[in-house]
Amino acid sequence: MKQITLEVIGPDPPCIRCLMLKKNAQKAAEKLRGDGISVEIKNLNIMAEETIMKYGFLFSPAMAVNDIVKFMGMVPSEEEIERVIIEACHSGRS
Amino acid sequence: MKESGIRHLRSAVMLTFITIVIGLLIYSRIQSYSLAPTMKPADFSKYSWYEIPLYYLWDYASHGWICLLFAFMTAGLVYEFVPKEAITRYMGGSKITGYGLALGIAPFLTVCSCTMVPLFAGILYTGAGIGPAITFLLMAPASNILTILLTGEMISWEIAGFRVIASICVALIAGVVISKTSWGKAVEREHQRPISRPQKTVQMVMPPLDERLSASLKFAGYLAKQILPFFVLGLVAVSYVEAYLPEDIVSKYLTGITGVLIASVIGGPLYTPTLVEIVLGRGLLKLGMSQGALLSWLMGQPYDIANALAVSRIAKWKVVLTYMIVAWMGSVAFGILYGSITGSL
Repeated sequence: MKQITLEVIGPDPPCIRCLMLKKNAQKAAEKLRGDGISVEIKNLNIMAEETIMKYGFLFSPAMAVNDIVKFMGMVPSEEEIERVIIEACHSGRS
Repeated sequence: MKESGIRHLRSAVMLTFITIVIGLLIYSRIQSYSLAPTMKPADFSKYSWYEIPLYYLWDYASHGWICLLFAFMTAGLVYEFVPKEAITRYMGGSKITGYGLALGIAPFLTVCSCTMVPLFAGILYTGAGIGPAITFLLMAPASNILTILLTGEMISWEIAGFRVIASICVALIAGVVISKTSWGKAVEREHQRPISRPQKTVQMVMPPLDERLSASLKFAGYLAKQILPFFVLGLVAVSYVEAYLPEDIVSKYLTGITGVLIASVIGGPLYTPTLVEIVLGRGLLKLGMSQGALLSWLMGQPYDIANALAVSRIAKWKVVLTYMIVAWMGSVAFGILYGSITGSL
């Protein structure tokens, strides 16, 4: 079982587009569970000090996979998210 | 390569749609077909009270749909294709790049109010400081791409252009003034952290073109869904204002220097993030409001109450008060200036 951490980064309370991103991420995670990849989805407040210390200045909504920001200021589709997670699995192996 | 074929097809369909919308707008320009509604206040007298909003909405919808479609689509496309990663990299730079970027990016990135406060915080925290953050905050609602397009199409491009210039001046002055005050500096000290972002925490993925196009059109649809219901409600209200507000009251109170003052005061709290102030301003202009008062009215929005509340959670109320006062003075000054230039005060 591969372990992937996915962070949805947005304002708190979440904006509608961040919720849309999160929904797409959840669907992608659901699909990948069958392939032996377990995705843990976390919420990060874009304005919190820890987030800014970690990633700097971001556009919301943003999404990070294994501590690397992959998307910002857009809602990627389910397939896009899936592709990025699979890519992260492969880079983890090498 | 069946998949890439589908992708090309999707991109082609969406690009065709975009081209058609742009083409329609240009065509309407060439034909000098008015995108703004054509009803005059006098026309309303022949309708009964429940017919007024219906006819007014129809008048708007039949003329304004190209303009609205174009405005939402452009907002979505621009937000998607603007190089965000580059901006975030430069934002943490010096004060001058901070001001420049704040003025330059605000029009394109803030069509959605949910991005505005986080961006304000981001600018404040990551080095550029309180001045550029305030500049950004004032510039954002005053001249985002939706507002400019609709002001230009619905009222006049002259006032839209002047509005942008006035907003730039006011936003810059407010930013510089606040960065010099002791309370502004206190907020800056409290929030600013030396951030050295490790390069590898951001590696943006570039999705294929069809994904990006569909994401941007979806965003345009989302914006429309957020804004249009309020826009329609606003239009209903505006139709009654145009039908029942006597012209002599408007020409008495909304002209001259008093007119500018009154317009700037009611323009602020009345502002809703729904572009209604443009159609209401247009209605009042037809009833006899002066051009100067109209500009003040339109510029009134950055100091609206909802906006101020969100910011006061991060910055101190003194900062909020200072920028509201500067913005208000700016809207009055530019209103009077515009009124005297156009000879309609």
